[in-house]
Amino acid sequence: MERNYEQFDAIVIGAGHAGCEAALALSRTGNKTLLLTISLDAIAFLACNPSIGGTAKGQLVAEVDALGGEMGRVADKTALQIRMLNRGKGPAVQSLRVQADKNQYHSQMKKVLESEKNLFVRQGEVVSVEVEGTDKIVTTQLGLQYRANAVIFATGVYLKSEIIIGQNREYNGPNGFKNSSHLSESLEKLGIKLLRFKTGTPVRLHARSVDYRQMEVQLGDEDIMPFSTMTEEKVENKAVCYLTYTTPKTHEIIRKNLDKAPAISGEIKGIGPRYCPSIETKVVRFADKERHQLFLEPEAIDTQELYLQGFSTSMPAELQKEMVHSVIGLENAEIMRDAYAIEYDCIEPTQLKPTLELKTIDGLFFAGQINGTSGYEEAAAQGIVAGINASLYIKGQPQMVLKRNDGYIGVLIDDIVTKGTNEPYRMMTSRAEYRLLLRQDNADMRLTEIGRKVGLVDDLRWQKFLSKKEKMAEIEKILMQKVVVDEKLKKFFGENGEPIPKENQRFYDLMKRTNIDIFKIENAYNLFAGFDKQLLEIVNIKIKYEGYLKQQQEDIDKMLANESVAIPENFDYSSAQGLREEAKEKLAQIKPLNLGQASRISGVSPADVSVLSILVKKGKNEKFS
Amino acid sequence: MKDVIVSISTPLGKGAIAVVRLSGQGCLSLALKVFHAQNVRESEIKPRYMYFGRLEIEDGVFEECLMVYFKAPFSYTGEDIVEFQVHGGVLLAQKVVDLCLKTGARLAEAGEFSKRAFLNGKITLDKAEAIIGEINAEAEGELKSSLQITNGRLSQKILDAQEELKLLLAEIEVGMDYPDETEEAALKTDVAAKLSEIKEEVCRILDDAKSAKFLKSGINVALVGKTNVGKSSVMNALLGQDRAIVTDIKGTTRDSITESFEFKGIKINLIDTAGIRETEDVVESLGIEKSKNSLKNSDLVLFVLDGSEEKTEEDKQIEKLIEGKNYITVVNKADKKRVLKKSLNEIEISALQNKNIDKLKQKIVDTVLEKEIEFNSLVLTNERQSQILEEANLLLEQILQSANTLDVMSMQIKKLWLTLGKITGNTENEDIINLIFSKFCLGK
Repeated sequence: MERNYEQFDAIVIGAGHAGCEAALALSRTGNKTLLLTISLDAIAFLACNPSIGGTAKGQLVAEVDALGGEMGRVADKTALQIRMLNRGKGPAVQSLRVQADKNQYHSQMKKVLESEKNLFVRQGEVVSVEVEGTDKIVTTQLGLQYRANAVIFATGVYLKSEIIIGQNREYNGPNGFKNSSHLSESLEKLGIKLLRFKTGTPVRLHARSVDYRQMEVQLGDEDIMPFSTMTEEKVENKAVCYLTYTTPKTHEIIRKNLDKAPAISGEIKGIGPRYCPSIETKVVRFADKERHQLFLEPEAIDTQELYLQGFSTSMPAELQKEMVHSVIGLENAEIMRDAYAIEYDCIEPTQLKPTLELKTIDGLFFAGQINGTSGYEEAAAQGIVAGINASLYIKGQPQMVLKRNDGYIGVLIDDIVTKGTNEPYRMMTSRAEYRLLLRQDNADMRLTEIGRKVGLVDDLRWQKFLSKKEKMAEIEKILMQKVVVDEKLKKFFGENGEPIPKENQRFYDLMKRTNIDIFKIENAYNLFAGFDKQLLEIVNIKIKYEGYLKQQQEDIDKMLANESVAIPENFDYSSAQGLREEAKEKLAQIKPLNLGQASRISGVSPADVSVLSILVKKGKNEKFS
Repeated sequence: MKDVIVSISTPLGKGAIAVVRLSGQGCLSLALKVFHAQNVRESEIKPRYMYFGRLEIEDGVFEECLMVYFKAPFSYTGEDIVEFQVHGGVLLAQKVVDLCLKTGARLAEAGEFSKRAFLNGKITLDKAEAIIGEINAEAEGELKSSLQITNGRLSQKILDAQEELKLLLAEIEVGMDYPDETEEAALKTDVAAKLSEIKEEVCRILDDAKSAKFLKSGINVALVGKTNVGKSSVMNALLGQDRAIVTDIKGTTRDSITESFEFKGIKINLIDTAGIRETEDVVESLGIEKSKNSLKNSDLVLFVLDGSEEKTEEDKQIEKLIEGKNYITVVNKADKKRVLKKSLNEIEISALQNKNIDKLKQKIVDTVLEKEIEFNSLVLTNERQSQILEEANLLLEQILQSANTLDVMSMQIKKLWLTLGKITGNTENEDIINLIFSKFCLGK
């Protein structure tokens, strides 16, 4: 029977944070794109905490924005509170976090998707993906079939997911949404190895039932640069958060009822993240801690629901109530939604190339929690990369690989495809070896050009970028002016406790002094009238940290030397002479693109990399001789 | 971008000269920072000409040296190469390498010169296998030596220091990655105090490492032989001056004497034992006890015989005593008529006429350093390790001197941790992350 397939350039499965960025990247680069989701009401749903950003994650959002992504803009627009974390700890680790309005975030992102002319958003559960030559055929549960060149899997935690609350185990997706029950088998049929991971979410409380008097209020920061360089309007603080603590009673209740805790009793088999333990896990593992801190965060402006951060649990519902009531200020709290743990299928990410394309089948891409990561920002970061690369794949162009020195996105993808992960992978600043360079403030300087090259950065963003660059150059030029050692300078230096220079210097040289920065110079000399304060800050960081940035650049240059030696895709490791057996096995499994990636595989020694460099060169010579 | 690598290119412990080789872009400027020749400027150095000059080995201590420059691509590796020819000997060549390392070169990895030569097309395809073999052999050799050290006290100290750093790092990192966990984020450790502590430890380790056997304490050689066979004369001849009292009266050398000399950069400690024989004289029997002890502690024994007479019962007893030990038979009194029968592994000398003394010295070094490759890798590994420790020490100084924000400080501490990791092999970043999660209670 001749079947009538609807034809697309690309199909994205799942409309969470990865799927949305992927679909937008594809459609904005001119591809007719179908975005399939189990529920249109689950688009860009903040299924867990109502916030975007945080340490390392803020950098990811800024990077997605620089490439021309959407997350930053939507987060700015729907922010209820904005905070810059780690202000006292240096520029490298400063990250933005906003409390986002969960409802508005969803509807705003949905609006953006709907307004994209090449993008077709449709409700439907995908049950299978088959490969026919270079064509991929996607079938939904209602038997509808679609054909495309490229497919991106961004199914989040929906694959065969189960919700666990105490003894209650429900075959369901997060927050009452339907799960995806057939796609796992389809993936296995394609030869893809699956893992089973777990995560969880805390209770939601009614605001009217909370006694704030014993809690500490958490205010937002003022005058903070938003995530997106495209956001013009100031982000206002519209809501506050509260800090409270568990009590000895909470811990006692948990200890007495450990036999009912699926996470402890072994009922839950999936591997959960260590950085997001349930409250019962915290009480067991850190038994000597007398209390644990909890945050109350608003879910949205038009709801009374509060998210109780730090109180993730899979205890039975009745017990959850007792536990919540033992917390300071929550003695009479009404639970509106129960906390739960969720188990789901994801893929072993080492099956992917650093482009997020499957190694074994061209044109199949994977992004987000299906790759064993955790977090909205990590998902969006992979989504945009998968979208860009699927687009390049369709056009027959070389795909984009972000390196570890390009951004946190590069670190994230390199980590999961090279080392794999045995728990949901969360981005942390400690994972980035070049974090002094990978700051949130310079994300646009690092990635806008790449975004422009792949066609995602539109003219408006590009013009803004160029003009910002120009202004920064102007500021730096002004700083190169000579300053005379006169009474004014002596006074300026004296006030700042710096020894008076003997000769005339440039303002730039003055900035190298410990106690002097661009703002003090501006106060004393009024050099930068009309320049944005934030621009001054960026130049300030650039100059104050110049020496250390140079050191990191040297490390990067060394790394890139190895990174530039490509290993042929069909390199035969099994017959490679001189490599140790362990190294052969690991290399054959990961199939690194280059020597740099090879050197980061655990179990591959520096001597193995040396030997490999010889073999690669030898192979090349033989081919061309 | 290629960094400059350095290593000793001649076998250690032997040879009249040693060659220290540098390879990589910019190695000439680097070399000229340590090599001082009159009227020679970098722009005037011609490739493949030999220049005479001096290296400042230590403050105010100069060593004469020859330098040759090979310009890329006309060199072994295909890169710029500089070779220093210095007087032979382990100590001196090591010091020259040290000097280059301090100026910005790094120690070459296993087989790296050959590897670079191959990658730059200077070595033909058929040699690839040989180079792979070289890399693996050297890496294995290094592994062996580092394993020897891993079992030792020294390595335990380095591991401890690295562990301390890891804890400190985890504490700093957790505050940065989890700023909301206010209770956890407060940095409880006084970072500067902790680092000073670690610095002291590194300095101590460094001192220990420098006293690596053979490099500092040298080869222990015991002289044995019956009384009046001329042991003290042999010793004096080796030392080149009168140290022990030499008389014709039997048993003059009552106590054992230790004296040292340097031969081709290797220190040799001579232990002159009192004449080994049973005696009723209490003082002398004490000396003999000591002799037996010094035999135990020696790397090599010189069994001195009198060539002008037959082997006596006493000689045979001594021979029994040193059975199983690594020894050379030294037949003294070659100035007299030879009566003694020839034996295996003997050397004929005359302490009186200073005949064959240098030959004997060479034989001492050769015998002990017979397994030259093993010796090489041991010394090299030690050198690598003490170099890494020096580097760590320098980093510690930098961190302690500068007042930086936490992000930079943790970057420096991480670098320090990775540096020590080159010795211990612990460089997995995941270890720090694991520690963060096992030590601190985090999460939403």
